Amino acid sequence: MPSGLVEFGLLLLSFAVPLLAVLIGLPPFLGFLANKGWTSDDAHKNPPTKVPEPAGPILFLAALVGEIVVAIGFRSWVPVAVILGAAVAFAVGLTDDLFVLGGKTKPLLLLLAGVAFVSLVVIVPGLYQPLITFPILGDTAPHFIIYTVLAVVAFPVVSDAFNMMDAFNGEISWFTFLASLALLVGVSVHAAYRSGFSLARVGATLPLVAVAAGFLLFNRYPSKAFDGDSGSLMFGAMFAGLAITGGVEIAAIIAIVPAILNSFYTLSSVRGFVERRKMLSRPTYIGSNGLLYPSTEPGAPNTLVRLVLLAGALSEKDLVKNLIYLTMAACLFSVAISVLTWVI
Amino acid sequence: MKMKLAPLFGIEAVAFLLIIGETYLFFNFVVPLGPIPHSLTVYTGLALLKLALIIALVAVWFVVMIGLTRFYVGEKLRNAPKPSS
Repeated sequence: MPSGLVEFGLLLLSFAVPLLAVLIGLPPFLGFLANKGWTSDDAHKNPPTKVPEPAGPILFLAALVGEIVVAIGFRSWVPVAVILGAAVAFAVGLTDDLFVLGGKTKPLLLLLAGVAFVSLVVIVPGLYQPLITFPILGDTAPHFIIYTVLAVVAFPVVSDAFNMMDAFNGEISWFTFLASLALLVGVSVHAAYRSGFSLARVGATLPLVAVAAGFLLFNRYPSKAFDGDSGSLMFGAMFAGLAITGGVEIAAIIAIVPAILNSFYTLSSVRGFVERRKMLSRPTYIGSNGLLYPSTEPGAPNTLVRLVLLAGALSEKDLVKNLIYLTMAACLFSVAISVLTWVI
Repeated sequence: MKMKLAPLFGIEAVAFLLIIGETYLFFNFVVPLGPIPHSLTVYTGLALLKLALIIALVAVWFVVMIGLTRFYVGEKLRNAPKPSS
């Protein structure tokens, strides 16, 4: 087990390698996508522009390289489990990018990401602690079966929640970056205040932060790249796996409350899993002045974006800023929960 | 604009406070509920009771969130912005 400076160097590498992989790998890949005509309409521009999609394959490769660095450097199975779950989610997302899966098929297939992740418990019994630690109140008793079932279910829930936060320029990259930073703080505080907690679990979080940070430079307004479902589902699966292995479930849920609310609003207003391309009415529309307005149709699906726009019409850039404020608030509360859980 | 988001920050806060509270109830009271069952009848009864409690916890979250959202949407739709054209 490495120690001191070596550990610090490994942590630095597990951040720098995936970040550089995105920064170096994405521009030529975007050129390749554009040459092949693999682009999508940036629907919230008037007139719509074409943006290369999906950038997911490069994002996954960058995360994979980062997790390999952590796995070899710290000789840990944790990054293997995390990237295994992410790989399944990435494969499901890429299939959806290429062939369009049904609204119900995607979450069912994403259960396989959870199954792949928990199956590694056979090899690594200490992959996760089957208990929840609450702020101030402390640990619950271990409940292996119920915890494992919930861990499997968490993968489609969290992945779909991330996927639904992927509608506007910079929305998914900002959201993933901020949520993964809150997660990193939680896992780091956990590692600092509980003895026997491996630093590899902190290291495994860094590739997600790095990939999201790198992608943010391309995805922010005006977007030069869209991640596609392959990217957003992979981000969600990685986040779920890292929250479980990091033992920071509560703080992680709090950090992604905007996405959970967004999924809940959408699912409850369209009454079930409906592929977004097949929704009968849109939650928002673009006015002739280029601003986004909330739909006032009674049957329009409620999304977080519609609720934000109900407070006033906004440009796409300002709308994403507002979504970032909501995410920041959730992430700050998540950090407070982590401190209350592990420090006090 | 940040002040206009205040109601949504409130909904967010209610959502995560409910999540923390209900997760605590679930892991500390619902999951370990009851004695070790000695017969199939007791086992089945206990399982059904736990299932009912889980559904109740989820239902509370849903009802509160739907109630808050409907109130917010209803209030805002009365003064919904219209396109300039």
